[in-house]
Amino acid sequence: MTAILAVARTYVVTACRERETLFWFLVFPLLLLTLLALIFGNIGESGAMTYDIAVVNLDTAPGAAAAAGVVAALGQLSVAEGESRPLFRLHTAAADSDPGTFLAAELDALRIGRRAAVVEIPQGLSASIAAAAHGSVAAELAVRVHKSGGRTSSDMAASIVEDIVAQVDHSLLVRMGLYDEARALRVERLDLGANAETFSYVDFVVPGIAIMGLFVSGLFGVPGTILFGRERKVLRAYWVTPLDVPHYFAGFALGHLAICTIQLVCVWALGRFAFGAHVALFRPLPLLVLLLASVTFLAFGFLVASVARTANGGMALANIVNMPMMFLGGLFYPLGQLPSALRAIMMVNPVTYLGDALRGVTGTAAASFPLGVSLGVAAAWIVVCALVASWRLTWDVGR
Amino acid sequence: MESAALMSVANLVKTYGEVRAVDGVSFSVPRAEVFTLLGPNGAGKTTTLEILEGIREADSGEIEVFGRKLRRVDRATKERMGVLLQEGNFEPYLKVREVLRLFASFFRSARSPNEVLREIALEEKAASLVKTLSGGQKQRLAIGVALINDPELVFLDEPTTGLDPQARRNIWSIVSGLTAAGKTIILTTHYMDEAETLSQTVSIMDHGRLIACGTPRELTSSLGQETIVEFVAGERAAGASEALAASCRSVRNEAGLVSVETDDLVATLRRLLDWSREAGVAVADMVVRQPNLEDVFLSLTGRRLRE
Repeated sequence: MTAILAVARTYVVTACRERETLFWFLVFPLLLLTLLALIFGNIGESGAMTYDIAVVNLDTAPGAAAAAGVVAALGQLSVAEGESRPLFRLHTAAADSDPGTFLAAELDALRIGRRAAVVEIPQGLSASIAAAAHGSVAAELAVRVHKSGGRTSSDMAASIVEDIVAQVDHSLLVRMGLYDEARALRVERLDLGANAETFSYVDFVVPGIAIMGLFVSGLFGVPGTILFGRERKVLRAYWVTPLDVPHYFAGFALGHLAICTIQLVCVWALGRFAFGAHVALFRPLPLLVLLLASVTFLAFGFLVASVARTANGGMALANIVNMPMMFLGGLFYPLGQLPSALRAIMMVNPVTYLGDALRGVTGTAAASFPLGVSLGVAAAWIVVCALVASWRLTWDVGR
Repeated sequence: MESAALMSVANLVKTYGEVRAVDGVSFSVPRAEVFTLLGPNGAGKTTTLEILEGIREADSGEIEVFGRKLRRVDRATKERMGVLLQEGNFEPYLKVREVLRLFASFFRSARSPNEVLREIALEEKAASLVKTLSGGQKQRLAIGVALINDPELVFLDEPTTGLDPQARRNIWSIVSGLTAAGKTIILTTHYMDEAETLSQTVSIMDHGRLIACGTPRELTSSLGQETIVEFVAGERAAGASEALAASCRSVRNEAGLVSVETDDLVATLRRLLDWSREAGVAVADMVVRQPNLEDVFLSLTGRRLRE
């Protein structure tokens, strides 16, 4: 046990002292989090006069005048007049797409700050209004304006939409000669953060950065230590002592997990105290996902180390797989509609599942995959990597 | 009764493809002595040592160490051994004392790092990173690591290769201290003077085989009572070799340096001076000396140690 702890301590100490390693495991994730938070964290907050609004019209029956009126009114504000920019940039579903799926995707976009508001026109709205106009009660259905609580741009866009809907309602009823204040069309404002913590783009990106940090640490840290240690006979000096590979590996893995912990605490602290993130990483389920992610990327690092013949070859291989795996893992933005080739990479990428699972269990975004599937895929990667590494990895320079 | 030999090997064989790196090597290492494997690069010294250190497994042969016969060196044996690897390294971002602590943790019982630091004269570098050490300091640290478990048997694989003369002498001083403390040392080197200075027993290896074994004096005596005469004759070296051939046991011309082995020094010197006067050639840098291990190797293989 003393030897295991000593190896773990060596791993941590050398990682903290070596500038290049320190950059990748600590500075890079913190820098990236800072940049993303500064660039995208306040979309539409300052000086932006054009709001990205999604309109999801589920009331497409013939003669649905109210729904058509709302869409048309919003559309008018999305046309530029003269030199000024339009107030809205409207996003509507393609003619052949499923409105329900489109709504879900747009709500995700709202969560991460890519939409200022999402306007949902429920099915049967127009009929409901017509029935109410001739009856004595208010319409049962309402136009839903989804906004992202805490974001000024979202609040402003939602208010403008509400005004427009009120104007449409008013003009509609006046035209029908049935305007009655008591039976006016209602607008429900649905705040995404109303029932829980208020999540922002930073909350979306903190779990992504956490997973990315673990990924980079495993991908570069493991081959770097093992392959350079092997090549420079640092490891050989261990093998002439009573220390054996299982004990060394245990110490190495423990040290790696310690590094991952330091990294996670730093990422969380930066997100929390510098950018006001509310995401809770240190709860049982998120911790389980993070532990699994650390082990998965540790195993992945050993996979890379086992297929590379030299240390430089290992680092080159790590660089080659780094970009596609990191950027096709949905860590920094949702992977909505990728071309099929890229989608195939995404679907086998452990980063995708672990990032998705962490967002799901922290509640910062709806998970695209069931938690069991994500954890299962990660476990499968661990098994495959462990099998390949135990078959191919050599712990000493050959002849 | 305790055996006089701490370690012995018999018919050790290690093959890499077509190459027999170690080809039926047998020897015994007496207790509390420096046993040296001397030979040129590629002779099989390091492979032999790697088998004895437990890094590699022999294809065949027997190893007996600390009174136990082993197929491969095991953990219990490693507890009693210390190893300085050829071109070994340590984590560059660890401090010197941390390296000693790390290695101390691998053994059931170990010495205090401070005590070892004193022994290898690295106390003032205890808090320095490994990457900042000079070659000689790194090698002293490597010896310190090899001694951290107070081993009975110490392997030193080419401990002074690449070091400057002062650093070499520092290492020699440490090794002499170990011998005085009763440690058994297995040393490999391709430096003849190192083997002569440090060893009680020298085994000469070439092409994976042991070709001679004995004390340095026994080995040099095996050449008889001959004397070596060396001089520089430049372009006329071939003429000098021809003129001296009849009066000596052997003569070699290596790029203008003539080396003569003779049993009759007076006759050889007379012929040399006669040839010098008749040919009008000045003989430069003449040395008359007794044979050394380099000459033994030359006599046995026809090559020099560093060829």
